[in-house]
Amino acid sequence: MGRIVVITSGKGGVGKTTTTANLGMALTRLGRTVALMDADFGLRNLDLLLGLENRVVYTALEVLAGDCRLEQALVRDKRQPGLALLPAAQNRNKDAITPEQMQQLANLLAEKFDYVLIDCPAGIESGFKNAIAPAQEALLVTTPEIAAVRDADRVVGLLEAHGIRKISLIVNRIRPQMVQANNMMSVSDVQEILAIPLAGLVPDDERVIISTNRGEPLVLEANLSLPGIAFQNIARRLEGEKVPLLDLDAPYNTLMGRLRRFFSR
Amino acid sequence: MTCPLVQPGTLGLEVTLPPEWDWTHLQDVLQQYFQLTESWWSPASPVRLIAGARVLSTEQLAWLAELLQKHDLVLANVQTEVRATAVAAAMAGYSVAQGELPTQAEPLGAPALYLNHAVRSGVEVRHPGTVVVMGDVNPGGCIVADGDIVVWGRLRGVAHAGAGGNSQRLIMALEMAATQLRIGRLVARTPANVAFYPEVACVQGDAIVLHPARDFGRTTPGGVS
Ligand SMILES: Nc1ncnc2c1ncn2[C@@H]1O[C@H](COP(=O)(O)OP(=O)(O)OP(=O)(O)O)[C@@H](O)[C@H]1O
Ligand SMILES: [Mg+2]
Repeated sequence: MGRIVVITSGKGGVGKTTTTANLGMALTRLGRTVALMDADFGLRNLDLLLGLENRVVYTALEVLAGDCRLEQALVRDKRQPGLALLPAAQNRNKDAITPEQMQQLANLLAEKFDYVLIDCPAGIESGFKNAIAPAQEALLVTTPEIAAVRDADRVVGLLEAHGIRKISLIVNRIRPQMVQANNMMSVSDVQEILAIPLAGLVPDDERVIISTNRGEPLVLEANLSLPGIAFQNIARRLEGEKVPLLDLDAPYNTLMGRLRRFFSR
Repeated sequence: MTCPLVQPGTLGLEVTLPPEWDWTHLQDVLQQYFQLTESWWSPASPVRLIAGARVLSTEQLAWLAELLQKHDLVLANVQTEVRATAVAAAMAGYSVAQGELPTQAEPLGAPALYLNHAVRSGVEVRHPGTVVVMGDVNPGGCIVADGDIVVWGRLRGVAHAGAGGNSQRLIMALEMAATQLRIGRLVARTPANVAFYPEVACVQGDAIVLHPARDFGRTTPGGVS
C-alpha cells in the first residue's frame, strides 16, 4: 500500500496546490509512482498547474457513480509516466462527495501507487474533512504571516483530533530580506508556535508564479532554480533522506545586513 | 455562558451538547476535547449526555458512542427534552432521562484538569475547577476555569480564571504573553514587552497585576493560597 498524504493549510492561497504539483513531479523524478487527488471540488486547479487541463475527461464523481473505471479517469502525465491525476469535478459543490467516498478512492489509488497526494481546499469545512479523511500523514503549508500561522495551528489541532499524528511543516514564500529587516516572521518564529517538524522551506520567488501560469512545475527544469531545489529537497525528505535545509539567507547574510538587524532589535 | 461542556457529575462524566452549535462544530470540539484530556478521565467512566433541546439522530448517537469508546469512556445515559431523541437513545440501548434537567447545586471543588498537550488555536477548554496545562497555550487558544490556571509553558492565548466570579483565583505561566487575561470579572492585556521569567497574575484592588513568580509568595500578603 502506498502512503496517503494530505497537503493542507487552513488559510487559503498559501501554496497547497503549487506544493502538491511540484512534490508529485519531484517524487516521480526520484523513481516513485504518484497519484494526485484534487479534493478541491468546485474550484479545481491542480490540473491547470500541471498543464493537464485539456486532458481531463472524467472526474472522481464519474468513478464513484460507476460511469467510468478509475483507470479511465486518471490523467497520465506524458512528461512523467509515473504521475497520474484524479481530477475533481469543477461544477459541483463541495458536498458532492463524502469522506467515505474519498477514503474509498484514495485506498484504490494507494493499491497502485507509491504515494497518493491529496490537494486540500482552503478552510476547515466539509471539503477539508473530505480531504483529510483518507490521510495517514499531513504536510502543512503556511506562509510566515500571523493569520496563516494561526489557521495552521488550528488545523494541527484538527488533524491530531482525527488521529493524524504525523504532521510536518512547509514554510512557503519566505522573503529572507524581510526577515532580516524584522518585517516578517522567521522560520523559528513560526516553528515556535506550531511545534511540528519541518519538512522544508520555499522562498518567495516569481519563478513559482511563472511556472504556475505555464503549467510547468519547477522541478521539471533542467537547471533547477532555488524554489525548484526546495521542492525537490522536500520530496527527498519525504523519502527519508537527510537533506540539510536550504540556506535562504545566504545572499542577504552580509555583514551590513547583520549589523542592520542587530541595531533594529 | 459559564456552563462547561464536560464536567464530573453524580452519574459519571456529564457532557453537555449546546443546542445552538451545528453538528460538525460540535464534532470538532468534542474530538479535540477528548483528545486533549485523554489520559485524565479514569478508564471506563460512564458518561451522561445532556442533549437538552438538541435533536440527536441514531447516527449521531452512534458517532458519539464511538468517540467516547475510542477514549475509553462508556456512553451510559442520555438526558433529553426531545421525544425523537429519547426514542433513538432507547432503541440503541442507553438509559434515558426525559424532561428538563433538575438544576443541580454547583459542584464544589471539581478536581483539577491536567492537559498534557499544547492548547492550539481554535480550541476552548472550560472546566469547573483548576486547569493545569503542560505545554503552551497558543494564540487563538482559550482556557476558562472556575479555579486557577497554571500554564507550564507559554501562555499566548486567552486565560480566564475564577470564571464563576471569584477574583481570588490566579493565573500562572512560565511565559506570560497572553492575548488577554481575565480573573473573575476583570480583564487585562499583558504588556507588549513579555518578561523572560515566570509570572503570576492576581487581582489587587480592582485591577489584574503581574508579579514575578519568585517574589510572589513574599510580596503578596497571603501569597499563593
Ligand atoms: N513560493 C512562492 N513564491 C511566489 N509565489 C507563490 C509561491 N507559492 C505559491 N505562490 C503563488 O501563490 C498563489 C496561490 O498558490 P496556490 O494556488 O498553490 O495556493 P493554494 O493554497 O492551493 O490556494 P487555495 O487555498 O485557493 O487552493 C499562486 O498564484 C502561486 O503561484
Ligand atoms: Mg489550491
